[in-house]
Amino acid sequence: MTPKVERLVNLTIALLETRRPITFAELKQRTRYYAQDDPESARRMFERDKKLLRSLGVPIETHELAFSDEVGYRVARPAYELPDPDLTPGEVAALGLALEASGADDSRLALAKLAARAPDPDELAPITHTRLTLAADPVDEVAEAVATRTPLRFDYRTAAGRSELRRVQPHAIAHRRGAWYLVAHDLAREALRVFRLDRVRGAVRPDGQPGSYLHPDELDVAGLIAGPEGDRVEVEVAAQDRARFELVRRGALSTDTTHGDRSVLRIPQLDELRDRAWLLGFGADVEVLAPAALREQLVAALERLVEQHR
Amino acid sequence: MSARDSVARMLTLVPWLLERPGASLSEAAAAFGTEPATIRRELLHLDFCGLPGLAGGDLFEVELVGDRVVLGMADELTRPLRPTPQEAYRLVLTLDAAVVALGDDLPQLRAAVDKVRGVLGIPEQQADVVPDDEDTALLAAARAAVRDQRRVRLRYRGRSDEEPTTREIDPWTLDLVDGQGYLQGFDHGVGERRVFRLDRVLGFEPTEIPVLTPAPAQLPPPRYVPGPDDLEVELRLQRGARWLLDAIDADRIEEHADGTTWCVLRTDAPEFIARLVLSGGGDLEVVRPASLRARVRELAEAALANYGGEDGAP
Repeated sequence: MTPKVERLVNLTIALLETRRPITFAELKQRTRYYAQDDPESARRMFERDKKLLRSLGVPIETHELAFSDEVGYRVARPAYELPDPDLTPGEVAALGLALEASGADDSRLALAKLAARAPDPDELAPITHTRLTLAADPVDEVAEAVATRTPLRFDYRTAAGRSELRRVQPHAIAHRRGAWYLVAHDLAREALRVFRLDRVRGAVRPDGQPGSYLHPDELDVAGLIAGPEGDRVEVEVAAQDRARFELVRRGALSTDTTHGDRSVLRIPQLDELRDRAWLLGFGADVEVLAPAALREQLVAALERLVEQHR
Repeated sequence: MSARDSVARMLTLVPWLLERPGASLSEAAAAFGTEPATIRRELLHLDFCGLPGLAGGDLFEVELVGDRVVLGMADELTRPLRPTPQEAYRLVLTLDAAVVALGDDLPQLRAAVDKVRGVLGIPEQQADVVPDDEDTALLAAARAAVRDQRRVRLRYRGRSDEEPTTREIDPWTLDLVDGQGYLQGFDHGVGERRVFRLDRVLGFEPTEIPVLTPAPAQLPPPRYVPGPDDLEVELRLQRGARWLLDAIDADRIEEHADGTTWCVLRTDAPEFIARLVLSGGGDLEVVRPASLRARVRELAEAALANYGGEDGAP
């Protein structure tokens, strides 16, 4: 039986119960812990306990005390206590089933916190046929920065392969098509930028104090992430029938014309940078007719490919 | 079970038990996603918690009769501790993904997630799972097919298929793995289990025919497992093609001083890799095997023929 668990719970209670910040000496008296003969090792144990409780989210405040060299500690109830979300029995059940279908065991405690004072869940039919998996580990690195508005710096590899130090004010975490993104204000570029978290190299480090900046009132996260990388251009292609569906899926429209035995389609809004690779991937099934500049780029790329693979 | 995990749970277990006098150990275990034995052990700890001597303070009173628990004298901890930012963002984003994936199957989920976001202070503009609009209708149709257990007719083009084919499928499960949808089921054409990526589905036609072939008891989510017959491929990437490393699972990656990257991967679909190299437009080169180098050249030459051939003749 380890007394450590009890010590940590009781330390939390002592810090919650005190109205004014209390010193380490006072805490010793109230909790009857940290009474080792060696004061240094008692102090170290207290420091370790504080660190562990803070990592669980216990908001331990440190205060300078007047007329004293000592510091005082306390936990403010409003910062500690989770307000009630007022969930209905049906909502509690839906949240439980959603986590079950996600296999997200690491979120069970968070849900238990939210439902701790809620009514017992309705009985809903379990979801057995649809399952989802979301690898959420990258969230941990940046969640605190977004929550506390703390600037970050990290090495970032651009799509072109260069690696640079970025200093940013994080605003949002988002996921799309298997990738995690950080939406942040880039300090050097003085503009909003979207960063793919899997292109961050090495550690993400705090680069300033919490609360250093404000989140914008309006932020179109979905638009920023799905947005284009290059300019939008209208592209005309001649396509084999088997490529047709994929083109239509990306917004291609039929025209009445043909090019030899192939039909001609018009794609009103292609991303010049991102979609060049997509067009190349069709091989002989798709020929770009216009614009001429894009056509030339594709020819040059194909010639390079032939040369390399001789 | 680490002391850290126990403390984290106990700070929430106390208000949970205070709210439900006489709850059973197994109910508590279910709510926290753990074992009744773990809850029982933590109750023994709680017997030593509370601070006697403080104004009104006393040790907690834990009464365990059979497997029913009554907790008293624990007024210091009537409300749960707020989730950490990591817990909160993980939860909100996981739930947001579930809203996209489960949609109408859980009509109350969206309102619940809004309440969770509200109390945690995480609006959509700080944490968002962005759905693919192109796939929303298909996803709903696939979900309905697996829920109602009705056969579907797919137009499908697999990674190595030259042309799309039509398949009759008894759908078993729909899996969303990091946003990518997969339909697993029994393919009547081949008489075997098959996995279909939703982004390769060109047409989806539900039928009224009930599923005939039952799903196996265990059906793990689809995941690419390299097989013994897979081809080992070595690629050389210029800086401009580094994005590829975001899209594939490489076995080995080596970065060279000249800025190029070499990677080795295994694949059961060489044609797919050849098309990937093609889309690299020269920033991606097959080092080996020779057969794949030849295939890339062949595809590039065929495409070039559209544009009047290498010599520029129309």
